[in-house]
Amino acid sequence: MATVTASAPQATLPGFLKRPVVRKLVLLALVAAILVPLANARWASGTWPDALTVDVSGPLTDTSTWIIDNRDSHPLFLYFFGHISNAVVLCVRAVYLVLLAAGWAGVTAAASLIAWRVAGRRLAAGTAAAFLACGFLGMWIPTMQTLALMVVAVLASVVVGVLLGLAAGLSDRMDRILRPVLDTMQVLPAFAYLLPVVLVFGIGVPAAVLATVVYAAPPMARLTALGLRGADKEVLEAVESLGTTARQRLLTARIPLARRELLLGLNQTIMMALSMAVIASVIGAGGLGDRVYQALATVDVGAALAAGIPIVLLAVVLDRVTGAAGERLGEEPRPNGRARWLYALIATVAIAVAARLAGRLDWPDAWTLNIAEPVNRAVDWMTNHLYSGVPVVGGTADWAGHFTTWVLDPVRDGLQWLPWWSVLLIVATLAWLIGTWRTALTAVLAMAAIGVLGVWNPSLDTLSQVLAAVAVTLVLGFAIGIAAARSDRVERLLRPVLDVFQTMPQFVYLIPVVALFGVGRAPAVAAAVVYALPAVVRITTQGLRQVDPAALESARSLGATPAQQLRQVQLPLARPALLLAVNQGVVLVLAVVIIGGLVGGGALGYDVVFGLAQGDLATGLVAGAAIVCLGLMLDRVTQPTERRAKKGA
Amino acid sequence: MSTTPRTAEDMTTESTTKSTTPETRKPPTAPVFAVEGLWKVFGPKADRIPADPELTALAPAELRTRTGCTAAVRDVSFDVRKGEVFVVMGLSGSGKSTLVRCLTRLIEPTAGTIAIDGEDVRAMDKTRLRELRRHRAAMVFQHFGLLPHRTVLDNVAYGLEIQRVGKAERRERAAKVVAKVGLEGMEHRRPGQLSGGQRQRVGLARALAVDPEVLLFDEPFSALDPLIRRDMQEEVVRLHREEGRTMVFITHDLSEALKLGDRIALMRDGAVVQLGTPEEIVGSPADDYVREFVRDVPREQVLTVRTAMRAASADETGNGPALAPDATVSEAIEAVARSGAPARVMEGGRCLGVVDHERLLGVVAGTEQRKEVA
Repeated sequence: MATVTASAPQATLPGFLKRPVVRKLVLLALVAAILVPLANARWASGTWPDALTVDVSGPLTDTSTWIIDNRDSHPLFLYFFGHISNAVVLCVRAVYLVLLAAGWAGVTAAASLIAWRVAGRRLAAGTAAAFLACGFLGMWIPTMQTLALMVVAVLASVVVGVLLGLAAGLSDRMDRILRPVLDTMQVLPAFAYLLPVVLVFGIGVPAAVLATVVYAAPPMARLTALGLRGADKEVLEAVESLGTTARQRLLTARIPLARRELLLGLNQTIMMALSMAVIASVIGAGGLGDRVYQALATVDVGAALAAGIPIVLLAVVLDRVTGAAGERLGEEPRPNGRARWLYALIATVAIAVAARLAGRLDWPDAWTLNIAEPVNRAVDWMTNHLYSGVPVVGGTADWAGHFTTWVLDPVRDGLQWLPWWSVLLIVATLAWLIGTWRTALTAVLAMAAIGVLGVWNPSLDTLSQVLAAVAVTLVLGFAIGIAAARSDRVERLLRPVLDVFQTMPQFVYLIPVVALFGVGRAPAVAAAVVYALPAVVRITTQGLRQVDPAALESARSLGATPAQQLRQVQLPLARPALLLAVNQGVVLVLAVVIIGGLVGGGALGYDVVFGLAQGDLATGLVAGAAIVCLGLMLDRVTQPTERRAKKGA
Repeated sequence: MSTTPRTAEDMTTESTTKSTTPETRKPPTAPVFAVEGLWKVFGPKADRIPADPELTALAPAELRTRTGCTAAVRDVSFDVRKGEVFVVMGLSGSGKSTLVRCLTRLIEPTAGTIAIDGEDVRAMDKTRLRELRRHRAAMVFQHFGLLPHRTVLDNVAYGLEIQRVGKAERRERAAKVVAKVGLEGMEHRRPGQLSGGQRQRVGLARALAVDPEVLLFDEPFSALDPLIRRDMQEEVVRLHREEGRTMVFITHDLSEALKLGDRIALMRDGAVVQLGTPEEIVGSPADDYVREFVRDVPREQVLTVRTAMRAASADETGNGPALAPDATVSEAIEAVARSGAPARVMEGGRCLGVVDHERLLGVVAGTEQRKEVA
C-alpha cells in the first residue's frame, strides 16, 4: 500500500492530494468502497457476524481438561513443569522461613541497614518506619509472604532478563527477534498473563511466581540490551585496541558501562514484580494482595486499606532505595565501604539473635493497631452522607451513576450499534493516520481477531470504558501538565505527589474508588484515570518544558502572548511528547480497566476473574486473548512511528 | 579531478619506496609499518572495487551512485620508519582515521598489504593480532575512550590488566607512567572529575603503560582548547625526544602536523596526495589542492636555508654570518638583518651556498617557489 502511494505520479495530482494525510484517506476510502458493500452484503449485522467467529472454547476446555488429567503423569509435567513448580515452591518457602526466623526485628534491621548502605541515612529511617508500620497494621505475616514471593520472582526475573538482554545486546539477530516481543509484552495488561500460567501450573504459588517473572523480566531485558548497545563506541574501540578478548570486553567494559541501565532495569523489575505479585493474589499468590482481594470481594474497605497501606509503603521504599542506588553510581566510592557492610551484617545478626533470645520473633499482638473498624465507620458515614443527596453538588454515587448513564452507556451502546466493519475501518484510519500502514494492519488484524474469538460485545464494553477513561485522563492530564510546565511552583508541588502515585501498584487504586463510588463500571474508570494521570501529566510537562528555548524566545521577541506561545510554539513542538502521552495513557488505562473487573467493571476483566473462580479456563483464556488483542490494537492505533516523531520535531 | 592527486601520490610514494628499499640506499633500519596499495571500501560487495580498474577510476561521488560504496582509503602506500613521527593529515572525511584503524585491523582493510616489522598484519590470526594490539601498537583516541567507572590509575593499568599482569606490578608500572605524563596526585580520581587535557594525558598514559613499539594517535588533541592543545603537543614532542618511540599521528590541523611531523602524508578523498617532510609539503606542493592547503602557513618558519639558498659566488664563501643547513628561513632573516650581508650555509666547514635578502624575501612572499615549479 505504501508503495502505491509513493509511486503515485505526484505531478498530475491536484494540490490537496499531495498531503500524505489526504492521500491515505483517499486510498482508505477506495478500499472501503470496494470491501464494505461486499462485507455488508454477506454478513450484514451490527455486531460481529456469527459466520466469522470460530468457537475455540471447545478445544480450549479439552486442552485444560487434558492438562489437569495429565498433570501428575505426563512426562512433560513430571520432568519439566513439575520440577519448575517444585523448585519455585521450595525457594519461596525457604525465603519465607528465613524471613520468619529472622523475626520482625531482624527483618526490619536488615532492610534498613541495606537501605543505609545503598541509599543513605534518611532512606534507612524511612525503611525502618515502613516495616514497623506494616507490623502496626497487623500485616506482618502477609507482608513477609509477599516479600518472599517477590524475592524469588525478582531474582528469577533478573536472571532471565539479563540473559535475554545479553542475547539482544550482543547479537543483532536476537535483537531483531526479541525487540518486538518485549515491546509488545510491555503494553499488555497484567491480567493477560494470568490465564496461560494457570493453565499449565494450576492455581497456586508457582503460577503466581511465574506470572510475575513473565511480567517483570521484560524491562530488565530491554534495559540490559539498551545499556549494552548504548555503550560509548569509542570506549569500546579503545578497549579493543588494547587487545582485549571478547570476554574481557564484556566483563571489563560493556557490562560496567551499562551499570546505570542495569540498575534502572532492576528498579523497574522490582516495581513491576510488586505490582504483579499483588495482582497474582487472584491466582493464589497469598500475602497482602490476597487480603486486599478478599476485602474488596466483600466491599470491606477498612480491611482492604489495612493491607493496601503496606503495599504502598513497600512500593515507595523499594523504589526509592533502588533509585538512590542508581543515582549514587557517579559518586566517589566512600572509604572503607566494605567494613561498613560488615558492620551492617553484624548489627543485623545481633538484632535478630537478640529478638530470638527475647522470644519476640512474632510481631506482638498488643502493638497492632486495628484501622479496619474506624475506616469502615468513616466509609459508612461517607456512604450515608456523601453518596447522594448532598445539596447542589450531588453525591459521589450520584456522580458515578450519572457518569455511567450519560457517558459510559451511550459510548458502549454506540460502539456496539456500529456495524462491525465500520469499527475496523475506524481502527484502520486512526492507526494509519498516526502511524504507518504496518501499525494499521496489526491494529485491524488484532481487532478482527477479537471478533473471531467471539467476544466482540464484551470487548467493545471494555473499549468504551477505556475510551471514556482516556478522554477524562487526557483532558485532566494535559490541563495539569500545561499548568505544571508554565509554573515552577505547580511543578514543585506536583512532583512528590506524582512520584508516589507512579510507584503504587495498579491494584491499590481500586480501594479508594470503591470507598468513594461503590462498585460498578464508573469506579473502574475512575481508578484507571487516577492510575494513568501521573504518567500523562509527567510526559506532557517534560515535553512542553523541553521545547527549544530559542524557538520560544524568538516567539516572545516577536511579541507573542502566552496563549499564542503555547498554541503556536510549545504545543506543535511538543507533539511527539503529547502523542507519547496519549499512547502511555491508553496502555495504562487499559491495564486498570481490566482489573476493574474485580470491582464490578464487568466485560473482559470480569470474564478472566470468572474463569479463574469457576475453573472455567476456556472463558478466561478467550477473554485473556481478547485483552491481548485489545492491548495490541490500542497501542498500535496510538503509536506514532519514530520516523514521524522525528519529522515532527 | 581524481586523476591529478593519484598521479601525484604515485609519484611521491615511488620516491619514498625508492629511498627506503635496500637496493638503492641502505636505510638505517627496516620500516616499522610498511603499507602497500591499501584499500578500505564501505558498502555492499566492497571486495570487487579495488580489483576493478574501471571502478577505481571513478570519482567518490560517482562511485557511490554507481555501486553504493564509499572508498574511505584508496590505494594508499607508505612506510613508517623506526623512531620517526609520521603524520597523516587531511580534512574530515579524507579517510585518515579509517587508515590508522586499518593498521591494527580495528577496521578490516579491503585490499592491500600491511606489514609490521616485516610481518604481514592481514595474515595474522586472532591470537597474533591480539598480541600485536597488546604489545606492539597502542592507540590514543580523540575522545579519550576512558572507562568512566575506573580510577585514573586503573584506567592506565587497564592494558596491563588485559595482559594478565598481576595487580601489584601493574599498579606500580601504571603509577610510573602516570607520573611521566604529569598526573601525580590524581591517581584515584575518576575520568569524570578531570579536565579534557588531563583526560587525554590519561589516554596517553594508558597507551604508554603497555610499552608499545608504535604509538598511534587519532586526532588526539582536536577536542581540546587551543592552549591545552599546545601543552599536549609539547608533551608529545618531549616524549618523543626522551624515548624516541615511533609514532603515527593523525590530525586535521596543519600547524600541528608541521610542528610534530618528521614526515607528513596529506590525504584527500581517501588517497595520499603528497608525502614528504614538512618542508617539501610547504616548499613544493604537489598540486593546487596542497598549495591551497598550505597557503597560509608562515613559510619562513618551515622552509630551511637548504632550499632557499643559491650558489655562492667566490667572494661570498669567505664572509658573512654562518648558518646550519637545517636553520629555518626566519632564523636566516634575523642573521641577515643583523649583519646586513648574505648569510653562508655551512656544513662541516664547507660552504654549501648563501642566502641573501632577495632569496629570503622570495620565500616569505612565496614567489621564489612558484618560479621553481614553473
